[in-house]
Amino acid sequence: MARPARLAAQGLALAVVLGLLALLVWRVAHDSNKGVSQALKDGQHPTAPAFDLRRLDGRGSIDLAAVRGKKPIVLDFWASWCVPCIHESKRLEAARRRYGDRVDFIGVDTKDFSGDARQWQHKHGITYPSVHDGSGNVLAKWGGLPIPRIFFVARSGKVVGELVVEEDLPRYLQQIASS
Amino acid sequence: MRRLALLLMAALLVVPSARADDRQPTLAELEGEVMCPVCGTTLDQSSSPAAQQIKRLIAARIAAGDTKGQIKARLVSEYGQAILAAPEHKGFGLLAWWLPIAGIVAAAAVVGAGAWRWSRAREREPDGPQLDPVLERRIDDELAHWDT
Repeated sequence: MARPARLAAQGLALAVVLGLLALLVWRVAHDSNKGVSQALKDGQHPTAPAFDLRRLDGRGSIDLAAVRGKKPIVLDFWASWCVPCIHESKRLEAARRRYGDRVDFIGVDTKDFSGDARQWQHKHGITYPSVHDGSGNVLAKWGGLPIPRIFFVARSGKVVGELVVEEDLPRYLQQIASS
Repeated sequence: MRRLALLLMAALLVVPSARADDRQPTLAELEGEVMCPVCGTTLDQSSSPAAQQIKRLIAARIAAGDTKGQIKARLVSEYGQAILAAPEHKGFGLLAWWLPIAGIVAAAAVVGAGAWRWSRAREREPDGPQLDPVLERRIDDELAHWDT
């Protein structure tokens, strides 16, 4: 093989190897992001990651970036196959009657079939709007499975907490409602 | 000839899947090709509530007369591409099928070319190191002396 051709082939091989290495590093760095839930455990209060997903009821979509920073938000990740989600969503529905004028309640139906999700909402009397995150990509940014996962976002757009025990709900609701 | 062989290989990979997508599948068949979105396994290996939900959906679509392609398209629209255990035989998904084959062919070509060059170089090499003519003549003389 002529010298220029050999150099070109070696350069190409080196570029491919470096490209694959860069891809690996990017992937590892990307995976190290455990989401909002981990950030909260680490004592941080990250800005709520934006999403723009279509609503389950067919009335357009909800763009969190457009809502964030205007009003406090309660974000409820649920699915129709998730049994504990029934209890938590019903509690949020009850809380909405008291705080609905000051706080936005938004559901994120995740890794779920939208037809079953609509039936589930109707069956359990859940009236706050929900968006469909079938792939679970949005859930992954907030911490992934298991669900239910419920987050509280202050008026500033920062996530102030995640529901862990029952008592967290009134505490965080009062906190973000007065933010 | 080589182009024809490549075209035939492409047809063999693409055409059977296209035909399979046009017919009605069985539930068992799709259970092996669809992922459970929460367990990281195919549906046939999972009994989680999420997997049961998708199995019910598939059974309902089969009963409604949908083809395999239609059912898969419905699942992808609900759950995204990750719901399929293997990438589709079309569009960007074709890369996942062809790239490994192309890699194997390229690696075989590189190994073959290397082996060919190595064998040619060996053929051109002399049998051994050249002796000094004076030394060679002396050795011949010595040997002739011993022969007599």
